[in-house]
Amino acid sequence: MDVIWTNLPFLLKGAYYTLLITIISMFFGSIIAVIVAVARLKGNKFIRWIARAYVSIIRGTPTLVQIIIVYYGLADYGLNLQPLTAAYIALSISIGAYLSETLRGAIQSIPKGQYEAAYASGMSPYQTMRRIVFPQAIRVAIPPAGNTFIGMLKETSLVSVITVTELLRSAQLLIAQYYVYMPFYLAIALMYWIMSTGFSFVLERIEKRLSIYD
Amino acid sequence: MKRRRIDMKKKYSYLTLILLTAFTLILTACGQKDETASEKEESGADLLQQIKDRGTLKVGLMGTYQPYNFLNDKKEMDGFDADISKELAKRLGVDVEFVSQEFSGMVAGLQTKKFDAVISQMTITDDRKKQMDFTEPYITNNVKVIVQEKNNNVKSVEDFKGKNIGVGLGTNDETYLRTELLPEVGDFTIKTYDDVITSLKDLNSGRIDATINNMYALKPVVEKNGFKIKAVGEPVKSDQAGIAIRKGNESLLKELNKHLADMKEDGTYKEIFVKWFGEEPQE
Repeated sequence: MDVIWTNLPFLLKGAYYTLLITIISMFFGSIIAVIVAVARLKGNKFIRWIARAYVSIIRGTPTLVQIIIVYYGLADYGLNLQPLTAAYIALSISIGAYLSETLRGAIQSIPKGQYEAAYASGMSPYQTMRRIVFPQAIRVAIPPAGNTFIGMLKETSLVSVITVTELLRSAQLLIAQYYVYMPFYLAIALMYWIMSTGFSFVLERIEKRLSIYD
Repeated sequence: MKRRRIDMKKKYSYLTLILLTAFTLILTACGQKDETASEKEESGADLLQQIKDRGTLKVGLMGTYQPYNFLNDKKEMDGFDADISKELAKRLGVDVEFVSQEFSGMVAGLQTKKFDAVISQMTITDDRKKQMDFTEPYITNNVKVIVQEKNNNVKSVEDFKGKNIGVGLGTNDETYLRTELLPEVGDFTIKTYDDVITSLKDLNSGRIDATINNMYALKPVVEKNGFKIKAVGEPVKSDQAGIAIRKGNESLLKELNKHLADMKEDGTYKEIFVKWFGEEPQE
């Protein structure tokens, strides 16, 4: 147990990177998700096709492979991204695909009548989306999006292969030093758990706040 | 309705608290148990006998470390370590079975009996001797500083200060960088890799400034990938690698040592060495 206490700052630094990568990728992933979801619903045939292909490819390939492609693969063509940048890009692209599907379903769950009513009151399609459809859709999307975010928090462990010392790698580094496994892995399991519980808590609050119309 | 909800919430927060406490307790318990677990010795039948009965010697290695151990064109494990393993198995009168995995998990793989021996350039260190038993060294490797071809700033380990240095995770080189060199030359960033190829790739693309590795390992990777990198300066250190087995298997250790000595005696060892490194072993 002592080894955990003496190395706690080191592990916490790893946890910091895990959180940092999760939050930044969540942010950019959400932006990608909105664009892709709208593209799939409102775009012309070509745009729709591109959006579908993106979702299909990303969901159909392991995130680890995507990370390695972005970091080591692109380097072959002279694009040398820093480990953290590569992690943000790969994970944003990855989470964007999953979130866009969540969002698409949520947008589709808003009854047609609402669009018609909005148009009838003189709103443009953009205004209708922004003022009427999105606020309702986001509320529907939050529980499944929460799943994706928490999944994402754990997937950050994959970026250890591109030399980012996140939580899992910090534990591996310590293990390479002390040759004991269980305390370190249990400690990081606990830390992952606490972080994802924190995420669920925040999401629950947001969901509550958005449900004022009920 | 509202009231009920608050009660529920309270209930859940208790539940969370209980779970948290339980988890912490497990954590504490395991932390204490662990110290004795690593000293535990093999129980039951003699490992040497087990291997002979089974008819296979299971060897753990990385499989990504040319020319020591790697997958050849036929998708078979090949290289210096592989040849040594095959020769040893032959002399034991059994087949060899290779289990390839990342080096950082090698000690755990051995302890959890995924394989009988590690023949994967594992350097003999005092720290590791506490965990495992080693045979007599079967190879000596000179470790050098490796940099990009156009890099003239880094000429030795003294120039590492403030630089990004790559190294294999869980390797003896990592320990050396972290515990010996870091306090000596001042702050530099250590980046860890799961295999040699990725570290050299990052060096080639300039994401790290230098790495340390041995020349034999470097040659084939550089030749195949056309990396523009070079080794500089005098060797940083000389490492002796041995075959690692679980503690408390004296008979197996004795047998392996005997066969290694025989191989050196009758020239088989030299043959394997020349085959892979193009020069005679220095002893």
